[in-house]
Amino acid sequence: MSLTDRLDLELRPLLRAGLSTLALCGLVALGNRGGRWLDPALLGYLLATLFACFGVAYRYFSWIERPATRMYFRHTVQTLLSARALKAIPRMALLALDQMFLQRFIEKRSLRRWGAHALLAWGCMLGFAVTIPLVFGWVRFTSEGLNPNRYQAWVFGVPAGAFPLDSAAAFLSFHILDLAAVMVIAGCVLSLIRRKQDEGDTATQRVDLDLLPLVLLIAVSMTGLLLTASEKWLQGRNFATLAFLHELTVILLLLGLPFGKLFHVIQRPAQVGVSIYKAEGEAEGRLACKGCGAPFIRANQRRDLGALWKELDLDGARHGRDIHHLDLCPKCKRRLVARAQGERLQGAFDPFATIPVHAEPIPDPTSMKS
Amino acid sequence: MVPQDYGFFIDPQRCIGCRSCVGACAECGTHRGRSMIHLDEMDRFDSTQTVPTVCMHCEDPICAQVCPSDAIKRSEDGVVHAAQKPRCIGCQNCELSCPFGVPIVFSGLEQMLKCDLCYDRTSVGHKPMCATVCPSQALLFVRKDEIAGLRKNKPLRDFLIGTIRVKTKNAIMVPDPETPLHLDAALLIDGGF
Repeated sequence: MSLTDRLDLELRPLLRAGLSTLALCGLVALGNRGGRWLDPALLGYLLATLFACFGVAYRYFSWIERPATRMYFRHTVQTLLSARALKAIPRMALLALDQMFLQRFIEKRSLRRWGAHALLAWGCMLGFAVTIPLVFGWVRFTSEGLNPNRYQAWVFGVPAGAFPLDSAAAFLSFHILDLAAVMVIAGCVLSLIRRKQDEGDTATQRVDLDLLPLVLLIAVSMTGLLLTASEKWLQGRNFATLAFLHELTVILLLLGLPFGKLFHVIQRPAQVGVSIYKAEGEAEGRLACKGCGAPFIRANQRRDLGALWKELDLDGARHGRDIHHLDLCPKCKRRLVARAQGERLQGAFDPFATIPVHAEPIPDPTSMKS
Repeated sequence: MVPQDYGFFIDPQRCIGCRSCVGACAECGTHRGRSMIHLDEMDRFDSTQTVPTVCMHCEDPICAQVCPSDAIKRSEDGVVHAAQKPRCIGCQNCELSCPFGVPIVFSGLEQMLKCDLCYDRTSVGHKPMCATVCPSQALLFVRKDEIAGLRKNKPLRDFLIGTIRVKTKNAIMVPDPETPLHLDAALLIDGGF
């Protein structure tokens, strides 16, 4: 890759991330009427959110530059810009409901995993759905005129209903984030228990990638709940300290969003695009393996993988007779290895002939435990 | 971390098709209940030969190169792990691109799983499940310096597909490991199964 290409590859995502952040700044300013409805107490959160937007956008635009990612991204954009969009968009909406919101594919992996993940994900979704509009100044609450017993909600600076302070609507408005915090804590604790008990997870997990985000989410939720506890039962004792701690944990979470495990939230919608791609491939039909003749690969994926292998300098994987390695099904590839080994052994199909015969049982040659 | 002085040595010619490895593999903690080892028949009509396939753990895994979600990682000890659960989107690029036909994408789960050298075991000093139970030692996990005393054939970790060179952590046993093992489809078509 030439220096120009490399610079282009690094500058392009930077530029796009910068433009995305500027666009978000514009939307924030538009929604809060040029800062009129912005809550100065939430300024730290706003700055961290804008940084997170830049970081997430930079990583996202870098990610879709990967040849394999670009293959699916391009297909999804082409689908959305073509006549196929009419059919694809309702299907995508249903898939998004199933895969993004209900997350039923996780349920199929394990019910326990799904339970923990659903609590965590829905708690986070609820939390962000409430806090982001508040931080951006898109939603705000004030007393209704001079009446301190009624609250007035404002959306984009427009009155959007009022309610008495002792109503159910008020209770829900004041405590919806507590509900989100409880859900997140429950999800995180269940995840940590599963991680502790699952041998596979224990062997492969990393503190920075797998455990730290859970601990951070618990810290955010706990400090949030403590704010309510301080206000309700401790006459506001230590409220300022708790508010500072809460802000600190939220800012840390937002700053870490582009770099850590939580970035998978941004990646996951790609699954919807892949599902559409697969459905189109099924409609086009599957190509037969050039080894055994069994249909195995979708025609669109064979074409795109061929181009991808070429881009990755793997196009030399050809066998002659117009057979590419991609034209062989996984089973034929496996049998090919054994066949090649058999050829190398020159047909000597007596692998035990050269092994000395032991009268005594052969001891385990390793010092490892079985 | 898998001890670097140990190696996985595969000899399909020794496989007796008992399927012990298939049963044992499903006990692995990283993919409990699902067997990741493939046991194929070379030619069910003409031969009793069976082929066990585990991941070869490539040095520059093609499955990782073609993964759109960057979900396949190779750890410092050379083990190529199954796709990370939060990232895998089930596109099947890895399944269709692996030179050895190893990964399996479970539809519905949107998840690729593959042999990860029983990382929950090998990283704490145990053998992989399949090598533990293989009665004919077609799948053998021993210290690298012990293999010469156990086999006449030698370990080969170098494969050639067309002009593409694939180097691996796991080895296959051949008499002359100096030359890469050429995986040529003509062997399938001309030689049949």
